[in-house]
Amino acid sequence: MFELLKLVMVEVLLLDVDRVRPDASREDAGLDSLAVVELSMVLSQRHGIEITDDELLELDTVAQIVALMEQRKRTAAA
Amino acid sequence: MTDRSVICGLGYWLPDRVVTNTELCERLDVSEDWIEARTGISRRRWVEPGEATSDLAVEAGRAALKSAGGGPVDAVVLATTTPDHRCPATAPDVAARLGLSGVAAFDVSAVCTGFVYGLATAAGFIAAGLAERVLLIAAEAFSTLLDPDDRTTWPIFGDGAGAVVLRRGRADEPGAIGPLVLGSDGDRSELITVKAGGSRLPFRAPVPDDGSQYFQMRGREVFRQSVERMSAAATEALQAAGWQLGDVDRLVTHQANARVSAALATRLGLRRDAPTQNIAEVGNTAAASIPVLLAQAVLNGTLEPGHRVLLAAFGGGLTWGATTLTWPELEVHDT
Repeated sequence: MFELLKLVMVEVLLLDVDRVRPDASREDAGLDSLAVVELSMVLSQRHGIEITDDELLELDTVAQIVALMEQRKRTAAA
Repeated sequence: MTDRSVICGLGYWLPDRVVTNTELCERLDVSEDWIEARTGISRRRWVEPGEATSDLAVEAGRAALKSAGGGPVDAVVLATTTPDHRCPATAPDVAARLGLSGVAAFDVSAVCTGFVYGLATAAGFIAAGLAERVLLIAAEAFSTLLDPDDRTTWPIFGDGAGAVVLRRGRADEPGAIGPLVLGSDGDRSELITVKAGGSRLPFRAPVPDDGSQYFQMRGREVFRQSVERMSAAATEALQAAGWQLGDVDRLVTHQANARVSAALATRLGLRRDAPTQNIAEVGNTAAASIPVLLAQAVLNGTLEPGHRVLLAAFGGGLTWGATTLTWPELEVHDT
């Protein structure tokens, strides 16, 4: 799931690949309050993963975003 | 074949005063880098005290009339959310100052969608036989509405005006405005506001100390709505015109924020740098945004005759609109 997030962040949002690491903070990885809105839209539209931008803003690290993505994917598949 | 309205003149005008990010950061607690990263804006133009929307509108209107080679005008439509006064509308004054006193003249208020709503208005006048030629001006002085301590709006808006002359013509002519898609969502009217000074919160009532007298915007939700609504409207406009996305040469949208343009491009399946842009130098000029961009794109060679153009706008209301056209031969004069 980290690879999927990284793909979206780097290929779609054009964020810096070197900054997208699991231990990176959300802001350091380039996800400001506008980027999280776009991330939320892309995850929903292209990957069927529903996470609101409010939820993303409450998370501190990239790893936490990955964890929530995994949780939502499992819920969607159930 | 049904008559369409055809663009036969284009002009624009920006006020002289350039405002840099450095100047804004003197008061606002953000860095220049923050403004650039968040908005894509480096500079914008603001009116001086005493300079008003009609002053910009008259210059842009004059430039559009010159571009059209002069000629009669049967109606003046001014798209603006920053009229000179609460009353009357600004269009009659602008018309009079352009030597057009006597024709139908009124304002269209649709915030950043104003130019596209204005195109629909002009098209309607022509189709109904109320006008053979319409001068449509979009002019704004949003700087006059902003809270200097609000980092979500203070760096974003610039002042300016753009104008087109529309004449009756055929759908297959270059410059013919294609089928127009328009919409609104009043359930979200609270997202983009200037609350005070209207009938709900009149001037003689005490103004609450919550920024009601200023332009306010819920940034994140507006970002989402902008991308979703412009994407949907643009897609519908393409279908109505019988175009594929691959037919589009230039994506010309309301310049809200460089981040919105990039996200919209991605949403449509285009490269993030595909949209035509000028926001770095002029900021978000609300309704004036699209015609100013069109004029500057013609002047710098980005927009050429024969280019298939997809126009899309989104603004307060909420409102949105989109259309297509093939760009005509037009002479645009620099300011």
